[in-house]
Amino acid sequence: MLSVLGDRYAKCDGTSRRGFLQAGVLGLTGLTMADVLRSRAAQAASGKPVKDTSVILIWKGGGPSHLDTWDLKPAAPAEFRGDFQPIASSVPGIDVCELLPQSAAQMDKFAIVRSVTHPDAGHESASHYLLTGYKPTNDIPSNEMPSYGSVTAKERGPRRPGLPAYVALPQAPRSSAAAYLGVAYNPFSVGADPSQNNFSVRNLTLPNGLSLSRLDSRRALLKSIDTLRRESDQSGLMEGLDAFTQKAFEMVTSPAAQRAFALDREDAELRDRYGRNKMGQSLLLARRLVEAGVTFVTVDAGGWDTHANNFESLRKKLPEFDQGWGTLMADMAARGLLENTLVLVWGEFGRTPRINTNAGRDHWPGAMSVVLAGGGLQMGQAIGQSDAKAEYPKERPLVPEDILSTMYHVLGIDQEKEYYNDAERPIKILGTGSPIKELVG
Amino acid sequence: MPMRWSAWLAMLVWAFAAGPSHAANSPAGAEQLLHIEPAAIVLEGSEARQRLAVVAMPMTAAGKVDPATPTTDCTLAAKYVSSAPGVASVSADGIVTPHADRTATIEARALGSVARAQVTVDRFAQPRAISFRNQIVPIFSRYGCNSGGCHGKQAGQNGFKLSLLGFDPQFDYGALVKEARGRRVFPAAPEQSLLLLKASASVPHGGGLRIKRDSPEYSLLRRWIEQGALAGSADDPQLMRIKVWPQAAVMARHAQQRVIVRAEYSDGHTRDVTHEAQFKSNAPQVAGVDDEGQVTTDDGTGDTAVMARYLGHVDVCRIMVPLASAGGQWPKLPAGNYVDRLVEAKWKQLKLAPSPLCDDATFLRRVFLDTIGTLPTPEEVREFLADTNPHKRAAWIDRVLARNEYADFWTAKWGELLRNKRRTGREAQRGTYAFHAWIRNAFASNMPYDRFVRGIVAAQGTVDQHPPVIWYREVRNLVHQTNDTAQLFLGTRINCAQCHHHPYEKWSQDDYYQFQAFFARLGRKSGESAAEPAIYVRPDGEVFQPVTRQLMQPRGLDGPPVVVGDDEDRRQKLVDWMAEPSNPMFAAAICNRYWAHFLGRGLVEPLDDMRVTNPPSNPPLMSALAEDLLKHHFDLKHLVRTILNSTTYQLASDPTAANIDDEQNYARAYPRRVMAEVILDAVSQVTGTVENFGGLPKGTRAIQLPDESIGSYFLDVFGRPQRETACECERPREANLAQALHMLNSVELQSKVSAGDGRIAKLMKDKKPSDEVLDELYLAALSRYPRADERRTVLAYVAAQPNPRLAWEDLVWAMVNTKEFLFNH
Repeated sequence: MLSVLGDRYAKCDGTSRRGFLQAGVLGLTGLTMADVLRSRAAQAASGKPVKDTSVILIWKGGGPSHLDTWDLKPAAPAEFRGDFQPIASSVPGIDVCELLPQSAAQMDKFAIVRSVTHPDAGHESASHYLLTGYKPTNDIPSNEMPSYGSVTAKERGPRRPGLPAYVALPQAPRSSAAAYLGVAYNPFSVGADPSQNNFSVRNLTLPNGLSLSRLDSRRALLKSIDTLRRESDQSGLMEGLDAFTQKAFEMVTSPAAQRAFALDREDAELRDRYGRNKMGQSLLLARRLVEAGVTFVTVDAGGWDTHANNFESLRKKLPEFDQGWGTLMADMAARGLLENTLVLVWGEFGRTPRINTNAGRDHWPGAMSVVLAGGGLQMGQAIGQSDAKAEYPKERPLVPEDILSTMYHVLGIDQEKEYYNDAERPIKILGTGSPIKELVG
Repeated sequence: MPMRWSAWLAMLVWAFAAGPSHAANSPAGAEQLLHIEPAAIVLEGSEARQRLAVVAMPMTAAGKVDPATPTTDCTLAAKYVSSAPGVASVSADGIVTPHADRTATIEARALGSVARAQVTVDRFAQPRAISFRNQIVPIFSRYGCNSGGCHGKQAGQNGFKLSLLGFDPQFDYGALVKEARGRRVFPAAPEQSLLLLKASASVPHGGGLRIKRDSPEYSLLRRWIEQGALAGSADDPQLMRIKVWPQAAVMARHAQQRVIVRAEYSDGHTRDVTHEAQFKSNAPQVAGVDDEGQVTTDDGTGDTAVMARYLGHVDVCRIMVPLASAGGQWPKLPAGNYVDRLVEAKWKQLKLAPSPLCDDATFLRRVFLDTIGTLPTPEEVREFLADTNPHKRAAWIDRVLARNEYADFWTAKWGELLRNKRRTGREAQRGTYAFHAWIRNAFASNMPYDRFVRGIVAAQGTVDQHPPVIWYREVRNLVHQTNDTAQLFLGTRINCAQCHHHPYEKWSQDDYYQFQAFFARLGRKSGESAAEPAIYVRPDGEVFQPVTRQLMQPRGLDGPPVVVGDDEDRRQKLVDWMAEPSNPMFAAAICNRYWAHFLGRGLVEPLDDMRVTNPPSNPPLMSALAEDLLKHHFDLKHLVRTILNSTTYQLASDPTAANIDDEQNYARAYPRRVMAEVILDAVSQVTGTVENFGGLPKGTRAIQLPDESIGSYFLDVFGRPQRETACECERPREANLAQALHMLNSVELQSKVSAGDGRIAKLMKDKKPSDEVLDELYLAALSRYPRADERRTVLAYVAAQPNPRLAWEDLVWAMVNTKEFLFNH
């Protein structure tokens, strides 16, 4: 299955890091494009603004250190502040880590929220919380609540025909699934590392020995012998299968879908600028996908669980991220994509301000930094403050739900809308939280 | 045998109180009986109200109420007159209001006939002290104040928290009377109480206007505060049960029925609580219900339960909506067995004509896939079709049950439910292999089901001593043990009651934690490695109810208290209780699970959510299956054989005009998507290839995989579960895009279809004529000969292709992509 992906991110608890390939692996909604257009038209008629917005979520699973990225505390005692120095960014008064120079140069295009706090220091439960907006009530083998990517897929569908609504790359992090919304709203996992030379999406291109014309004649033959009466199945599954079959043929034969995933069509020099590594090429592919009409893209960018040798790991990881992020910001701005695309960067928590005996930092949800870009929000600002040791918010304490409320605001999705879970309990898209006023203006 | 289900049998006929009623002639001329409910009414206090219902019931020629013909609810059409409006008045919609102590008679006229109800008004001016628990709390439920979306949620709302749905009146009393410095209730000036000001929106209230100032509820709340906002005493009458009227009704399409809910108290008095109760229909497409208990049918036919819920008590009204006229031809079907007589009785009630019997080829394929997860070979299909034994279906069922794949297939299914899971730990493999082998032996030897369950639930020792201790590796804490045991073996989801009274059931937190107490003394050490639990019984360990903090004695759900000696394993007592013939849940749960497996839909659906408010679609069949299994000492092969030999199982899936909308009464077979492992094995078998599973011997089939960890994109994309829950719902049978892409356009499928040593390659090497190749491929993939039109189409296709071998590959590719292949139909 996902063994093609090579390295998995190791986390301290030793539990499986496999990409938790969801059975459904797909972000295609059951909706046809006509349905999407109809619902848009209905929205327009009801006077609600029609938004053509999309989201890129960069999920830094494991929990990235806030003190060593966006919220440095040079004045804190040595056992807190760590190895790195702050540098000035393009926005006066906002300093970031010295390992993030390209990001610093693009600071006017994004915003940092430095005062997000929550109480959950467990990987699985906090991931569920920050990927769905709901704290899990019990052990969480899988999604108890739908991920906001799934909610977006359900509410908005794909933005262009032939494309899936919700894509995860290279794979879907845990808690990315649709829960009671139905497997149709699970992410479509790309399933391969975009920085590999032979990168391609599984089963999207024709296998050896099969030509488009032969596929066409097979399709005709299938049609003539696939005659089981569809009415015998009142569950709609047979019709659903027919629809997916059609969609699959569309994707295999659609230039738009093929093009969206064909990273090698991208300018080689630009690919270099993003960085020829998993992070950089994933960000580039994410941009291609929203550009082509995907509504929600999750980039699984884990590996931040730095219990030991925090600084050594970050010396390797941060430059890769910096290169990719800085280029993504410049590239998206140049293409005019930031107006309608919200980019959200976070993990499940921050890390302990006090450095441990292994030169590492442990789990710390008391304060974390969240980065947002685009979506028509007010950029070039740092919102909130953590205290002197970056342990808790000092000013403007915010909770993860506020970030998500801001995201739904950008997407034009009513967070009060309810869906029934499997126990027929009505659950709001988001239980609490309100858009961050500094961002939405 | 005392079975709870048998109570439902009784509900299928109208039960009504004796009361003055008259025979009447309907406009259509048929004899009808006009009935008023309730016929005797006692109204206590000024706020009491009573809803009336008036129905016309058709009579048979013998002068009895005809239970199969729809009744007509005349409640809203009837004209009402009170003999003494100063004592009790009646509104046009049939609601009686008291005015003074004495008696009165209410007359209802409809369809040219009269029915009368006697009313007694009591204590109008000197009502008893209001009971907080019995009268005030229900108001909060009725108006949604204590719902999970408002003050009932964990954190409350704006600083005011009530217990969820009013299950903890003591807590609610404290919140109202003792918190907020007494501002919420203010006996000195009741109208100034925040409770009334907020609820009536006299001051800004996030929840808006809930209770109008001129409503009986407002008056009751005001009077309660005026009386001093008393908590009530332990002597207050206890709510014993609620009773819904009618218990069952046969309704026409596009019709209405008023439902009345009566609360019965420990002191014998009763009260109409329809207005305060909450209602829910299990199948709104058959019959919907509104907040006031008005049931409405639409176009749909079939049956459903309408649930009423009031202060933690529930009751249901079963609604049946038959087809207007006996639709379609009633086919001539073989007699079958007892299953068929009970299923047929239901068809007759609903006037639902079944589809005919399926043909032999479909039967064979269906039995093979459902029972052993394996396609029949072309040779087997030929042999079966040529078999002239008039009882060949029964004979082949026995033949299939004797196959080795029976154990493989059911081990795959149970390994999933028993969460035999390796995760990624290499050291965990020894345990999953051992548990897998134990389960397989159980099915190979047809171990009685009660012994099988005892082996798991009461597992003790190390993996080497007793492999099922592995069950406790995933089911590792008390919560898992409680929930999984109830869901898996008793078909009951009690997890809601972990935190609060189950909203749709009677299960309380006491029930939950008493059940949990069976596991309180389970001890766990590391076995051979940290990944292997060794299970032992500890000498101590107790469970305390988290709210009352009381020590919980072990007790089965609805069971008697269990006495366990200090040297005994509580879990043995648990299994004793489960497997007792008088326990209605255990045998029914497994019968329902198997029925759902073979028929595509449980008698109770979801199959592991059996509760009073979710009754089986065919209660007599549910109890007959359970009794039969008990009689046969939990012999699972007997259960399977009974189902397979029934005519019901052997019906065609092709719908008729009469039964096309049937989704719950088995008037035809419901096609089901074949499960992931079986599809993969079937694709391998059809193409004549073997799938390689890493680390396992060549030729291992997907249904033989010991655990979830063996990598296979095919299996994952088709919904192989990760064994994270005990719920069959973890295995999605839905369609998805990645599946479609894999079947249509993957290297894997293409290489199977074109394999150099595969089925097509062999057929080509043997230089078989096209007609024979065609037969062979159809028999292999679809377990039947091609029809004449298919023969023409395919042979023409092959003739038109330059390379016949590639053309045959195209055919196999197309066949495994048909719905006929992917579904068991």
